[in-house]
Amino acid sequence: MTNLTLTIISKQGEVEVIVPQGATVMDAIKAAEQQVPHFCYHKRLSIAGNCRMCLVEVEGAPKPVASCHWPANDGMRVNLDSETTINARKGTMELLLANHPLDCPICDQGGECELQDQAVAFGSDRSQFQEMKRAVDDKEIGAKIKTVMTRCIHCMRCVRFATEIAGVEEFGATGRGVDTQVGTYVEEALQSELAGNMIDLCPVGALTNKPYAFTARPWELQHTDSIDVMDGVGTHIRVDHRAGKVMRIVPRECDAINEEWMSDTARFSWDALSTNRLTTPMVRKNGKLTACGWPEAFKKIEQSLKKVGRDKIAGLAGDLHCAEDYYAFNAFMKETLKTDNVDARGDGACVDSTNHAAYIMHTPLADIEKADAVLLIGTNPRHEAPLLNVRLRCLVQSGIPIAMVGEEVDLTYKYKLLGDNPQVLEDIANSKNSFGKILQKAEKPLIILGSNVLTRPDAKAVLFSAASLAEGIGAVTENWRGFNVLQRMAGRVAALDMAVHPVAGGLETKGILKALSENKLDVLFQYGDIEVPCEMLQSTATKIYIGIHLTEQAQTADVMLPAAAYTEKNGLWTNIEGRVQEAKAAVQPPLQAKEDWKIFRALSAELGKPLPFNNQAQLRQAIVDICAIYNEPNMLVQPEWERPGKAGKMKDTPFTLPVTVENYYQTNEILRASNTMVACQAEILEKRKVEEAA
Amino acid sequence: MPKQTVPILKQEEKVFQNLEGQDDWSLAGYKKRGGYKGLKKLLTTDRIKHIEKMKESALRGRGGAGFPTGMKWSFMPDPAKTGKPSYLVCNADEGEPGTCKDRDILRYDPHTLVEGMIIGCYTLAAKTGYIYVRGEYYDESSRLQQAINEAYEAGFLGKNIQGTGVDVDIHVHLGAGAYICGEETALLESLEGKKGQPRLKPPFPAGYGLYGCPTTINNVETIAQVPPILKNKLEWWTQHGRPNNHGTKIFSISGSVNRPINVEAPMSIPLKELIETYAEGVIGGWKNLQAVIPGGSSTPMLNKGEAGKVLMDFDGLREYGTGLGTAAVIVMNQDVDVLRVMTRISAFYKHESCGQCTPCREGVGWVYTLMKRLSNGEGTVEELEQLQKLTKKIEGHTICAFADGAMWPVQGTLRCFKDEFERRIEAKEEVA
Repeated sequence: MTNLTLTIISKQGEVEVIVPQGATVMDAIKAAEQQVPHFCYHKRLSIAGNCRMCLVEVEGAPKPVASCHWPANDGMRVNLDSETTINARKGTMELLLANHPLDCPICDQGGECELQDQAVAFGSDRSQFQEMKRAVDDKEIGAKIKTVMTRCIHCMRCVRFATEIAGVEEFGATGRGVDTQVGTYVEEALQSELAGNMIDLCPVGALTNKPYAFTARPWELQHTDSIDVMDGVGTHIRVDHRAGKVMRIVPRECDAINEEWMSDTARFSWDALSTNRLTTPMVRKNGKLTACGWPEAFKKIEQSLKKVGRDKIAGLAGDLHCAEDYYAFNAFMKETLKTDNVDARGDGACVDSTNHAAYIMHTPLADIEKADAVLLIGTNPRHEAPLLNVRLRCLVQSGIPIAMVGEEVDLTYKYKLLGDNPQVLEDIANSKNSFGKILQKAEKPLIILGSNVLTRPDAKAVLFSAASLAEGIGAVTENWRGFNVLQRMAGRVAALDMAVHPVAGGLETKGILKALSENKLDVLFQYGDIEVPCEMLQSTATKIYIGIHLTEQAQTADVMLPAAAYTEKNGLWTNIEGRVQEAKAAVQPPLQAKEDWKIFRALSAELGKPLPFNNQAQLRQAIVDICAIYNEPNMLVQPEWERPGKAGKMKDTPFTLPVTVENYYQTNEILRASNTMVACQAEILEKRKVEEAA
Repeated sequence: MPKQTVPILKQEEKVFQNLEGQDDWSLAGYKKRGGYKGLKKLLTTDRIKHIEKMKESALRGRGGAGFPTGMKWSFMPDPAKTGKPSYLVCNADEGEPGTCKDRDILRYDPHTLVEGMIIGCYTLAAKTGYIYVRGEYYDESSRLQQAINEAYEAGFLGKNIQGTGVDVDIHVHLGAGAYICGEETALLESLEGKKGQPRLKPPFPAGYGLYGCPTTINNVETIAQVPPILKNKLEWWTQHGRPNNHGTKIFSISGSVNRPINVEAPMSIPLKELIETYAEGVIGGWKNLQAVIPGGSSTPMLNKGEAGKVLMDFDGLREYGTGLGTAAVIVMNQDVDVLRVMTRISAFYKHESCGQCTPCREGVGWVYTLMKRLSNGEGTVEELEQLQKLTKKIEGHTICAFADGAMWPVQGTLRCFKDEFERRIEAKEEVA
C-alpha cells in the first residue's frame, strides 16, 4: 500500500502529513491534529456527506470539497483557514441555524450540543435570516427517547445507526426539501434494544434522553467510570451523578468491548438505583418486617444460627455481584458457617470452577470480525448480549455464513435455521448437514453456545458434543479459538471463578431448593434474587436476605440486610470473555446500606470467626491467590483448553431461550425495579398484541 | 395542422426526421427513413473505434451539462477486468421547466433511441440498458415499450443481434415524479428502488454506478444521436456548429413567441435567428422582447441586447454567463412580469429540493421567500444584496448541481432586473 503526502495549511502554518491510500481529506486533517467541523460524519457509521459543514478548500479544485468523503490525493494542498473555507463554513452554519429554533435555554442538549459548540467556534455572530422558521411536529417514539424534531438538522446519523448498526429499519426520512422529517414513518414506540445510542449520536437536541429530561445540566454532573452489569458484555459506562444521586448513565468508548454503544437496559435502568431500595436492615417482628439497626439484625441472625447443624444451613447467590462480593459470601458460608451448601448458579448450570474453558467466550469480542463461519447453539445473542449481536450482524453483513441450532428468533439479520435440538449437532459433526461442510472449510469458525444450554438435563453431553465439534472443525487451535459459551448474566463468570458452588459434596441449587421444599433446612442465606419462582424459596427455614431491592423474594425473608448496587461500590467485574474490569463507586450506598463484602466481614466477626481480610486490598489479594488473572484487570488471558462436559446421550428436546423480546427488559432485579424498563416492556407487549390482532 | 417548418436543415441532415410526428413512428416508418441500416456493421466494428469517433465528433451531452460524450464513454472500465457487468442508463426523466424535446423523441421517433441504446450498449460492453422515463410520460413510455417490442421481434434486441453475437436487453422504468431523479446518481438510486437522492461523488458512476457496477448515464437525445454520427462521415456531423460545439440540436422554444415549437436546428445558430426563423418571432416583434432564458429554467436569463447577439451553443452562451442547458428557450416579452416568473421558478426549486444536504434544503426555501417578498416590493434594497450573497452561500456547496441550477436563475434575475426590484421596493415605500 502506498502512502500519500498532503499539505494541511492552517493559521499555524503548513504541515505535511502522510496518510495511507484510501484515506479521506478529513483523515489527513485529523492526522495534522487540526479540527474540521462536522455533523453528519461519524466514524462508526457510513459516510453521508450531507451536512456540508466540513467543506474545505483544496487548492486547484473549482469549489470547496466535503472533507469527510473526498479521497486524499498525493500532493494535495488543503487550506483550512482560507477565505473560501471560512465562507463555506459560515454559510453552511448560517443555513443550519436558519430553521433551527435556537431554544438552547430550554434544550436538554445545551452544554453538550455539537451545534452549539461548532456555531460558537466556526459560525458567524449574526444571521440575515428574517423569515418565519420551520416548525415540525414532535414524534412520540416511546419511553426511551424524547423528540423535539424542530431542532433536527437532518444529519441522518440516527437513521444510519438504526439501519446499519441496530439492524432495525425503524427510522427514516419522509418528505423532501425543507419539509424533510425524520421519524418512524408510522408513529410508534421504537422496538430496538439499542435505540438509546441515537441520543448520543444526535448532534443536537432533537433526540434526547426521556427519563433524564430536565433533571440536570451536563456541567453540574460528576462523572465516574464504571462497568455495566445488565448483561455479561461488560460495557464501559460513565455514571453521571449529582449530589450523591445517579442522574444518568452513558457509554464510554472501548474498541475491545462496546465500541461506543450500549444497550438500552444499561442506559435506562438507573432510576431503579433509587427506587424501592433496601436502605436499612429489617427483621420480622410479629410477622411484619420492621426496620432496625445493624446490631439488632446481626443479633437475630446469631440467634437463628444457634444450635443449628452446619448441614442445615445453605446459601444461594444471585447474578449481580462482583468478584469481591462473591468471594466474601463464599468464604462466609464455607469458613465461618462451615457449610458446603452454597451455590451461585441459580439456573442450575452444569459448569464449575474446575474448568475455566467451559464457561467463557474464548474469542475476544474484537476478534469476532475475523471469523468466517458462525454456528449459534441455543442462544439469542440479540437479547442475551446485544453488543455481541451488533458484531455478529456486522460479520453477517459482510457475507459470512451463519446458522442456528435452537429456537427461531429475530436477530436483525438472516441466518440458516438447522434445527431446534442437540441431535442436529451430530449431523453437523458428521457433515451430514450441509452447514457442517461450511464449518469444516472455514479457517476461523465460531461456535457460540447459549448459557441456557448448560441448564439442560443433558447439558454435559451437549457441551461435550459442541466442544468436540469445535475441535473437529478447527475452532480450537493455537492461532484461533472459536469455541464460546455465552453467559447472559454479569456476575456469573466471577461467581464461577470464585468457586461459589459446593466443592465437598454439599447441596447444589437443585438440592437446596428440594431441601427447602421439604423443610429440611433451618437457615437460608439468600444473596440477591435467584432466577426461580418465589414459591420455590418458601419454607420454614429462617431466611436472611442480603440485597439491594425490596423484591418479591426479599419480602419473604426474616432478616434483610441492605447492600450496595453496582454504582455504589468499587468492584471487579468479569465479563463474558473472562476479562476482569474494575468499576469505581460513583455514589454512596443509600442510608444504612453497606458494601456487600463489609457486611459478610462484619457478620463473620459477630459470629466469632472473622474472615481473614480487613480491607479491600487484602480481599483482592485473597482473590488473586485463588485466581491469578484478577491481579491484572483488563488483561485477556486465553484459558488452557480442556474439553468441557462429558460424553453422553443427547436428548431431542428443543433448546429453549430464557431471554426473548417478551421479557428482555425485565431480566434482573434492577431492571424489574426500573419504571422506564417496565414501560419499555409494556410497549413491546402492546405492539405484540396489536400485531397478533392484525 | 401545424405549419411546415422552414427547411433550413435538409431531411437527411437531421437525426430526428419524424420529430413533428408527421410520419410513421413505428419500426416500418423508421426503417423507411434509413433506420437500423448499417447496424450490423457497427456491431462488428471495434468498440475503441466507436469511442474514438465519438471523441472526434465532439458530441457534448444534450442533458444540460454538455460533457463530451466520447470522453465519458472512455471512462468505462473493461468488464473482463472488473468482473462486473457494465450498464448503459438512458436518462429520460425530462423535468427541466421549458424542456420537451425528449418527449417528442419518445413518442414520434422512439426507434432513434432504441438504436442508440443498442449501439451504446455494444460500445460500452453492456449487456443491459435501462431507460428511466419520468412518471408523467406514461403514454410516451408505452410508445417506447412498443418500439422496443418491435425491435425484439425484428431481432434488433435480445440475444445474438443480427447474428453478430452481441446481446442487448433494454428495460423501461417509470419514475415517480421527482425532478431530482433527473440527476444521474439520484436516478440510479431511484432505479435501484431507493429514495431518489443524489450520491456523493466520487466515486463516479463509471466506476461505481447502478448496483455498484460501472455505469454510463446519457440523455435521450445524446444516445439517439450516436447511430447517425457513427454511420455517417465525420463531416456530416461537424459541418454544423462551431468547433467543440458541433452537430444539430433540438431546441424547445416556448413563451412569448408566435409559434412555440420543438425543432432540430444546427448548433451555434444565433438566438435571434432561431426565434425568428422557427418560432415566427417574438409576440409584438423583437423590439417587444424583454428577456430570454436560453436553456431551461436553471440557466440565467439574457436581456434583450444580449439575446440579439448570442450564438446558441455551449461556449457562446458561456460567454454571457449562462449556458445551453437543455436548449429550452423561454422567451419573455414586455407583457410578462419577469420577477413573478422567476419567483415561480424559485418556488419550483423549493418544491423539488430533495432535502439531503444542508445548503439546498435550508437555502432554496429561503431564497424563494426572499424572491416572493422582494418581487412584491416588500423589503429593502439592502436585502437584494443579501439575496445575492445568499445564493453564493448555496452555490457550489452542495452534493449535486441542483442547488447551482436553483441559484443561477436568481443571480441572472438580479443581474438583469435589479432596477426593477428597486423600483418596486421604492414604490411600496412611497405608498407607506
